[in-house]
Amino acid sequence: MDQNQNVTVTAPELLTVSPSPHARRHVTTASVMKDVLIALLPATVWGIYLFGIRAAITLLLCVVSSVVFELLTQLVLRRTVTVADCSAAVTGLLLGLNLPPTVPFYVPIVGSAFAIIVVKQLFGGIGKNVMNPALAARVFLMMAWTGQMTVFPAAYDRVGFGVDAVASATPLVALKQGVLPEAGLADLFLGRVGGCIGEVSVLMLLIGGIYLLVRRVIAWHIPVAFLGTVAILTLLFPQGEIPPLTFMLTSLCSGGLVLGAFFMATDYVTSPVTPVGRLIFGVGCGALVVFLRYFSGYNEGVSFAILIMNALVWYLDMCTKPRVFGKKRREKKA
Amino acid sequence: MLFRKEYEKNVKFTFRGGTHLNEHKDTAGLATVRLPEPKTVSIPLSQPIGAHATPVVAVGDRVLVGQVIGVVESGLGCPVHASVSGTVKEIVTKNNAQGVPIRNIVIENDGERTLHESVKAWEKPLEETTPEEIVEIVRQAGISGLGGATFPTYAKLQSAIGKVDTVIINCAECEPYITANHRLLLERSYTVISGLEIVMHALSVNEGIIAVEDNKPDAIALLQKAVEGKPRLRVCVLKTKYPQGDERQIIYAIKRREIPAGKLPADVGCVVINAETSSAICRAFYRGVPLVSRIVTVTGDCIKEPKNVRAPLGASYADLVEFCGGLVKPPKKIVSGGPMMGQAQWDINAPVVKGTSALLFFSEEYDKINTYHSACIHCGNCVAHCPMHLMPNYLTQYAQARQYDEAAKMNVMSCVECGTCTYNCPAGVQIVQYIRVAKGALRMKK
Repeated sequence: MDQNQNVTVTAPELLTVSPSPHARRHVTTASVMKDVLIALLPATVWGIYLFGIRAAITLLLCVVSSVVFELLTQLVLRRTVTVADCSAAVTGLLLGLNLPPTVPFYVPIVGSAFAIIVVKQLFGGIGKNVMNPALAARVFLMMAWTGQMTVFPAAYDRVGFGVDAVASATPLVALKQGVLPEAGLADLFLGRVGGCIGEVSVLMLLIGGIYLLVRRVIAWHIPVAFLGTVAILTLLFPQGEIPPLTFMLTSLCSGGLVLGAFFMATDYVTSPVTPVGRLIFGVGCGALVVFLRYFSGYNEGVSFAILIMNALVWYLDMCTKPRVFGKKRREKKA
Repeated sequence: MLFRKEYEKNVKFTFRGGTHLNEHKDTAGLATVRLPEPKTVSIPLSQPIGAHATPVVAVGDRVLVGQVIGVVESGLGCPVHASVSGTVKEIVTKNNAQGVPIRNIVIENDGERTLHESVKAWEKPLEETTPEEIVEIVRQAGISGLGGATFPTYAKLQSAIGKVDTVIINCAECEPYITANHRLLLERSYTVISGLEIVMHALSVNEGIIAVEDNKPDAIALLQKAVEGKPRLRVCVLKTKYPQGDERQIIYAIKRREIPAGKLPADVGCVVINAETSSAICRAFYRGVPLVSRIVTVTGDCIKEPKNVRAPLGASYADLVEFCGGLVKPPKKIVSGGPMMGQAQWDINAPVVKGTSALLFFSEEYDKINTYHSACIHCGNCVAHCPMHLMPNYLTQYAQARQYDEAAKMNVMSCVECGTCTYNCPAGVQIVQYIRVAKGALRMKK
């Protein structure tokens, strides 16, 4: 070889012989999860601003306990430790954003344990869970502590420690009774209402959602189909004496709908991979949300709607297989 | 017709699926340089596809450039020629890149490049030459597809006679790093065009298309000027997207014809020929020179001075590295061909063969991203980008569970192993490798 250079060619046994391809896009699971965390930042900041230090502690408890539970489970089950991919942190943050700021401090910890240990790790870890861990945990908490989970402080009611907040009626309760909520449309859109920590400000959630779309972390199909279905159904079937358009916009801006459509329904693991499957998934979520909001005992239907559609992901994928290049859509059975 | 020509000047042809890769075509501006005569060349008596040749020279014989040194008696395959003039030093059996023992003829180069007497132009003009004669010229010149698959070109032409209406010259060069075809188009575009005309004559076809990706605007301008006044020829601009250079995708992009699974381009009336192959056909016809050299792009982060090198077949990788100023970092991986479908090599003294379109030397740092593996997160990137419209994530799951029949039901055999899925996988799953395992198991069963 070139004698003038002090570099030697490595001996053949040091060369890696691996199958092609030898190039990769520099996007990893961790970078995707970090993008989701960045996208949730505006809503998180707004929630803390609106509800004070208590909201911050609840969120912190969720994130930290999720990561710790993931680490512990993986150590106990002797799996590869994958907390560095940030997926547990995302689950924790999403769960926290779905909790009222007034919950006792054991609620986020129990919720994180349920999400990470039962829903995620016992089903095989990242990529194997059937249902969205954060949503499943939220529903679990709703069943276990219905009282604490349905008390929401009013906006700017920066709750302190150990003080019971004054419960305020959420917009959805009003809508269910066929009357407009006290808060106006602008308040709902900007997030000057009571509710769960992360669901209140539609604006902040939209900023995060658009960030995810621009970064191509999520595809447009699910959010558009989801919100579009809710919009059409509420426009066609308004309740009470409310004008259809107002009813539609109020419905879209209340509850966890936008949070669910951009951040929960688009969870990779629990949503279909084909474009058509994603559209059907979104339409199904939207229809179920409206159905549950109108007819169920709960005011809120987003969690249940997404969880029910989660169970159908495999079938949606199989029913919407793309036509393979060079093959007919329906091959004659040989 | 005129309207169509105008329209096609502006439109960019493409297909559904695929992905735009980081191109790394840094060597595009570097003119092709001839490798200084290597001391010895080692010419394998087999190319990846086709029967092995039998040597017709003995140790100690003097051979000249273009002289036949190995013949194929039966089956698919073309003769093997000496790429330099000199003396046959030895005939040794060496393992090739796949670890298969192959006989190599080692020639000590006298550096004079004396042509053999058999190297002379075809005696008849093109118009009087019959298709069979052209096929024989191509076979005698030992021309194989120079895009990387090295399917013998004569067999491709023979099977296409009377069946096709379009000849497409593939200058897509969709793999990152490689600029061999790009340089050829800039420097010798006339050989590519006259090669196309020879093939069109052989197949009595009236439509010849030169398909170039839009990342080579200088080559497109040059070709468009060159085909002016040739009504049977036109240049089609393709959108830069991997794997645009795959025969299926290029035919679909330009002609909107889908090759049915398990069929060949000729079955939909097309023949696709690589640009350098076309140039080789031209040289074989007008000058009688068999395929004894090819352009190799030598690059990668370990190479001091990346170059486009015209190297005689049989020159060793080490000769090319030395010519390119040596290595600045120890390589971790040597890839012959592009990074997407090329083969990792284990021997730096391996010879350049017909399929060596590029030699890439990557350091450990570069290769690090390929060592990251975790569980599938069902993101659907592989499904969105698959040019064959498969569902690679489910194929991988079936392969992992060894349910190969289920994978077969999802058309695993249609996979072309282009690597787009693995490239885009955020979890670093070796999707293509799992699919290869499934395909291998299914082939074994048959």
